[in-house]
Amino acid sequence: MKLKKICNICLVLLLLVNLAGCWDQKGLDRQVFVIGIGLDKAEEKGKVNVTYLIANPEVGSSQTASATDEPSFMTITMRASDFVSMRNNANVAIAREISYDLLSVILVSEEFAREKEFVRFLYTAEKDREIKRDIHLVVTKEKVKEFFGRNNPKFLKRPHKFYEFMIERGVEIGIIPDSELHHFFRVTEEDSNLFLSAFATTKIPSNKDNYRINESDAVAGDLKVKGDANNAQFLGSAVFLEGEMIGTMTGVETRIVMLLHDAIPVRDVLTTFQDPFSEDYQLAVRINQQKKSVVKMDLKAKPPRINVKLPLTIDVLTDPGMENPVENKKKVERLRSEFEKEMESKIMEVVRISQEEFKAEPFGWSLHARKEFKTLKEYMNFDWMKTYPDMKVKVDVDLRFGKFGRQPKTPSYKGIRD
Amino acid sequence: MKQTEGKIGIREYVAIILLAVGTKLSDDTPTLFFSSAKNAAWISMLLTGILTLIPLFFLIKVFSVHRDKNLHDLNLHLFGKVMGNILSFGMLIFGFAALVLDSATYVNIISTIYFTKTPSIAIYVILMIVCGYGAKRGIEHIGSAAWITLFYLKTTLAFALIIAFTKGNAKFLFPIWGPGTSEIVKTAASKISIFADFYFIGIIAPFVSTFKEFKKGTFIAFVIVLIEITLALIIYVMLFDFTSIEVISYPFHELILYISIGFLNNVESMFLPFWLISAFIRFAFYLYMVLILFGGIFRIKEYEFLVPVMVILVIFLGITPKNATFTVPFLREQLLMILSPIFFILPSLMWLIAKVRGDFKNEVKKDM
Repeated sequence: MKLKKICNICLVLLLLVNLAGCWDQKGLDRQVFVIGIGLDKAEEKGKVNVTYLIANPEVGSSQTASATDEPSFMTITMRASDFVSMRNNANVAIAREISYDLLSVILVSEEFAREKEFVRFLYTAEKDREIKRDIHLVVTKEKVKEFFGRNNPKFLKRPHKFYEFMIERGVEIGIIPDSELHHFFRVTEEDSNLFLSAFATTKIPSNKDNYRINESDAVAGDLKVKGDANNAQFLGSAVFLEGEMIGTMTGVETRIVMLLHDAIPVRDVLTTFQDPFSEDYQLAVRINQQKKSVVKMDLKAKPPRINVKLPLTIDVLTDPGMENPVENKKKVERLRSEFEKEMESKIMEVVRISQEEFKAEPFGWSLHARKEFKTLKEYMNFDWMKTYPDMKVKVDVDLRFGKFGRQPKTPSYKGIRD
Repeated sequence: MKQTEGKIGIREYVAIILLAVGTKLSDDTPTLFFSSAKNAAWISMLLTGILTLIPLFFLIKVFSVHRDKNLHDLNLHLFGKVMGNILSFGMLIFGFAALVLDSATYVNIISTIYFTKTPSIAIYVILMIVCGYGAKRGIEHIGSAAWITLFYLKTTLAFALIIAFTKGNAKFLFPIWGPGTSEIVKTAASKISIFADFYFIGIIAPFVSTFKEFKKGTFIAFVIVLIEITLALIIYVMLFDFTSIEVISYPFHELILYISIGFLNNVESMFLPFWLISAFIRFAFYLYMVLILFGGIFRIKEYEFLVPVMVILVIFLGITPKNATFTVPFLREQLLMILSPIFFILPSLMWLIAKVRGDFKNEVKKDM
């Protein structure tokens, strides 16, 4: 009896040892955390220049508030075959084990993204267990190495917060797309759509100061921002076809794509429309998408037809013309028809670009098309990507007015100046 | 068999099946369906479920007249001493092979996704020691462990699936017939053996307190498991689409790696322990069934002394395959292929023989 008891206790104690999981044991202080990985083209084939953005956990946390003078992050660039083996290579200069557990963004330079080879390197991410599918992909105009060096936000010194918030907010207002690796892999493998990736740059030419109707109708780097908030801009998207970058889309175009694509909710779109009553001014509006767009297709017709109905609710938030459109039914009606026309023409322009320039669509209509087929074989034979450029697309915007600002009425301009 | 004097109630019985069979949605079983039935895998699954009802019905029917016999005794009774033993031995081989291959799959999952640096053999040894201990304690303990943990395990599973569901896109399920109806039916027919556990469950039939509970429990558990796995297949497709799902080996683990709950990004470590516990219970139960069958065939009463031998055998066979990531799923698919027709035909054969022998006549009288 006694012997049995002792045996049991020994066994239990022995099992206790295993709880630590000795082989995979990692001490927090023995690791450094990579927040971002940058991929640049290397001169040699089969190689890639990998840049790590490594956060300094001691900076910026509330307890030690600026107790140290250490910088909040550091970067290291090395040539490697991939970013898995790079982990050991980097230990040449970094003392601790490199961990991807907190990796939140992979940045790729435009130059590299336009290479056919690029997709080979990115698929490494599917193999490594620490790289998760919810990491965001961002394309930078310049080399990522330079981007990391110049990107220096005044607040949000801690890089993981910066990238997280920057991307989250950008997606929320629709100026950059939700470019999770998960979507990248899915779209690339399905091979019938375009994938949009966030576009960013710190390289801002100094002479860009052209007047624009809508300020976000540009890609990152084309917008003049004064002040010292940050050198980096996140705006617009890089367009990928079959895992290779083929062009860019502006912020407005990205928004339009996201409004039409029902898988990605855009919650807070503030934009401006031309004021139909006075030519010099624009009306600020908030676009809400409460219902999903209705997509109807006739794929048997030649050419196949797509009819999209996009129901939107619009809040008109400003009235610089001081015309008080709310009071007048006719004016509201005119506002509606002008807005619808303007939106439709903008949307059709994006559709045209996708059909003629990119020869594939980013709107996710192929998913709607799937319902029209019984089997995968029929769907594959239809070859969505090939047929899309010839399709007849019609988009109907169905506007509905919501609020007209906090105070719908303004005094008339004439009355004031009188 | 002194450990198993007691019996288990319907609760424990259902809990065991739910864990042993329901856990299949988290290993590479879904991949077997996806590889041929693509995005229509869930239809295949439902069809498999309907097909399974036939052998299940016959099996229950046969057991209804032999309430105190387990599957091995029944084989002896129906097929005679020689044939019965051969049949049971064949079943033992299949059951043991399933135990080895499934546990090897689990070890592979743990070592590739969670503990990348730990040697596989260490994981295997720990897994099998725990399961061996469970099997040694007997069906009562396995049953109560299953019942105690069932709620937590299924809640976390449901939680993970619901989050994935909100992230998924229902349009990925279309075109609804996927690779075509013939492919769907073919998959359903060839993969029917994923429910072969319900045949092996006959081994513990006499341990369930009453036959009525055995019958009721089997059907309840079967329906729940079928719904559970079908829903999981639907959600996997909704999240990954038919193209990616084919290349993903372990969709459940890929899913919990991908999802995040609010500001919590790395939630997989929350789900891992629960999943591990269900794995422990599953293999403890498998091991237990193999032991009972082994003990029955070779007339070994003190079966618990076989535990260490069996555990060591499993470990060594399990780590033998070189290149386990590809060999094990391949072997597993082969096993399922062979097992499918056997599982489908054997119960009806048993019923037929029982009918010819006139076993059912007594039953009618008894009932009246």
